[in-house]
Amino acid sequence: MKKFDKGYIFSSLLSDLFGSLVIVFIFLKDFFLNDESNPEDIKAAIPFFVIGFSVVYLCFIVYRILYYKTSGYELTENEIKCNRGVLFRKRSVLDYQKVHAINKKQNLFHRIFGIAILTIDSGSTNTSHQAEITIIEKDKVADALLNELNLLKEGGTRNAENTQLKDELLLSDEDSLYSFTSGKKMLYTLINIASTAFFTALFVALTIIVLGICKLMIRQSFLGTWGQYFLYAFLITVGAMLLFSMFSLIGCLIHSFVGYYKFKITKRGNDIQISYGLLEKHINTFSYDRIKAVKITQGLVQRILGFAQVRLEVIGYTVNSGDDDKNAGLGVLVPFCKYNEIGEILGKVLPDYMPDEKQTKAVSYFPFVSWFLLVLGVVTGLVLVQLIATMMLFNVSTSVILTVALAVIVAGSVVFIVKALSAALSYQTNGLAVNNGKITAYYGGFIKNVTVFMSKNLIAAENVTTPLRQKAGVTSLVMHLKTNALSNEVKVHIQKDTLSDDIEKLLIL
Amino acid sequence: MKLKKLDKSVLKLWYIRAAIGSLALVGVFTSTSVILNATGASSDVTLAVLTGVGIPVALLLAITLIMPVLRYKMYAWGYDDKRIIVKQGVIFRQRVVIPVCQIQDLHRTQGPIMMMLKLSGVTISTAGSNFDISTLTTAEADRIIDELERNLEARIEELRNEEI
Repeated sequence: MKKFDKGYIFSSLLSDLFGSLVIVFIFLKDFFLNDESNPEDIKAAIPFFVIGFSVVYLCFIVYRILYYKTSGYELTENEIKCNRGVLFRKRSVLDYQKVHAINKKQNLFHRIFGIAILTIDSGSTNTSHQAEITIIEKDKVADALLNELNLLKEGGTRNAENTQLKDELLLSDEDSLYSFTSGKKMLYTLINIASTAFFTALFVALTIIVLGICKLMIRQSFLGTWGQYFLYAFLITVGAMLLFSMFSLIGCLIHSFVGYYKFKITKRGNDIQISYGLLEKHINTFSYDRIKAVKITQGLVQRILGFAQVRLEVIGYTVNSGDDDKNAGLGVLVPFCKYNEIGEILGKVLPDYMPDEKQTKAVSYFPFVSWFLLVLGVVTGLVLVQLIATMMLFNVSTSVILTVALAVIVAGSVVFIVKALSAALSYQTNGLAVNNGKITAYYGGFIKNVTVFMSKNLIAAENVTTPLRQKAGVTSLVMHLKTNALSNEVKVHIQKDTLSDDIEKLLIL
Repeated sequence: MKLKKLDKSVLKLWYIRAAIGSLALVGVFTSTSVILNATGASSDVTLAVLTGVGIPVALLLAITLIMPVLRYKMYAWGYDDKRIIVKQGVIFRQRVVIPVCQIQDLHRTQGPIMMMLKLSGVTISTAGSNFDISTLTTAEADRIIDELERNLEARIEELRNEEI
C-alpha cells in the first residue's frame, strides 16, 4: 500500500501551528496586552505558556506522524483501497465503477508543500458526510490520479490502455461553459449586501417598536422626548445597516472573489468538472449520469431583481466531503446568473435538466396560512390572557395593560403579515411539471426553488393532507429523491389530490 | 391493497411512553410550585406563575394522553410484492408509497420497553430516505422483513429480465 505524501505532515503541522497561535493569541491577548498587567507576572508566566504550548503541539506532531504511518492507498485492478485513521482506523474498498464523484482540494498550506487532497465518494447514504477514500499526494500525482480515476470509473478495470489515455482528458482554460466575471461577482456582492441591509433594518425596526413600548410603559427618561427618541432610532437604524453591510461587503467580496476565483465548468464526454478557489482550490469531477437533480434557487432580493443560483445534487459533491472539510457551500453549478440565462447555461452543461413550465399550480391560498393562523391565534390569545391576568393581580394601571395588550396584538399581526406575504409567494410559486420522465417542481415562499429531476430517481412518493383538505380534494406532495439524505425531499404544496396518483404512477415499482 | 391496523399491544407501548411524558410535565409543574413555596413568594406571585405554567402544562398533558388513541386509529400499513404503503397522522395525514425495488436495507429496532412488550420497529432504508413502520409485534416484524427481502430479490430479478 502506497503511503500519502510526506508533505501532508509538514502542511498539517504548519496549519496546526498557525491555528494554535491564533487561538493562543485570542485567549491570552487580554493577559499580555492589558495595561494593568504586571510585567513581572507576564515574565513568570511565559515559561509555563511555552511549556504548555509545546506539549500540545507535540501531541499534534505525534498525531500527524502516526496518521502518516497508518494511512495509505492502493489502486488494484478493479478497486481502490484506502487505510486511514489513528485511534479509529478505517479501511475502505471502493470499486472503480461505483465512484460517484472525485474532488481535488488544495488549501494554502497544501500549496506551500505542493500537495493536494483527492476525495473519492461512492454516493453511499451512510457515508454521505465523509468521502470513502482520501488520497494525499503531490499535486502532479494527484492530477494524474484524477485523470486515471475518471477513466477507471468508466471502464471499471485498470490496464495499460487507461493510463495511456489520460493526457487526452486534460481540459483547457478556454473550455469553460460559464464565466463568473468580476462584474457578476460585484453584482452578487451588492445583492447580498441589499439582503443584509433589508433584514438589519427589519430587525432594528422591531427593536425600536419594542423599546418604544417600554418607554411608554415604564416612562424611561433616558430615552429622551419622543422627537429625540425617533431621531436616535433613525440614526441607530442607519448605523446598524451600514455596519452590517460593511461586514457583509467584506465577507461577500472574499467569498465571491477569493472563494470563487477562476470559477470554471468544463464538460468532456460524460464528465463534468467544476473548479474554483484561490486560497483553497477545488476541482470536482463527476459523471453526468451521477447527477440526481438540478436546483435553481432565488432569494427574495434575487427574485425581485431577476437573478438566481443553480446547484447540483450529486452524492459526494453536494455535502461535506473529506476528513476535515467544513465547506457546506459545495454543490454549486452556477453561483450567480440572470434567471433568464439559466436555459442557455443548462442547455450547454445539462441539456436534460432544462426546467419545464409549470403545468399545475396551487389550488387555493387559504391552506398556506390556515394552520399558521390557528396556532398563532391560540398562542397570542394565551399570552394575552396570561399577561392581562398577571398584571391585574399586581394592580397594574389600565393604560399599561392596554399598551401591553396592544403590543402583543401588533407583534402577532406583524408575524402574521410576514407569513401572509410568504404564503402569497408560495401560492404563486408552488406547482409541478411532468414531461417525458422529467419532473420539474416549483416550491418555496420567500426563497423560490425549482428542482428538476428524472422520475427514475424518485424513490418514494408521499402525500400529506388534513380532513378538510381531503374533502376539498387538496393535498401536498412530498417526493423523496435518490440523493443526499439532507436534501432529498421536494415538497410541493396545495395541489389537486389527483396529482398524487400521477406521481405514484411515475415510481418504478 | 388492504391495509392492516397495528396490534393492540402497540397502544400499550404508546400509553407507557405518554405516561413517562406526562410525568415529566407534572414534574415541571410540581417543581415550580416547590420553588415558589421555598422562596416564600407572595400568594399573588404564586398564583400568577402557577397559572402561567399550569395552562400550557394542562394543554400538553391533554394532548399527550389523547394522542396515542388517535394515532392508533389513524395508523395503517400494508405491502405487496411491489410496494409498501404506510398511512399515519392525526391532523396532517400522510400516505407514503415505497417501491420494494428501492429498498437498500431493512432494520429491526427494539428499546427496553419494546423488548418487555415483545414489540419491534421496522426501518426501511432507501438510497435517499429512511421510512419507519412504527411498531409491530416482534414476530410480525421478522415476518415482514423476511417477506420484503424475498419480494425485493424477486422484483430485482423481474426488472433484470425486463431490461434484457
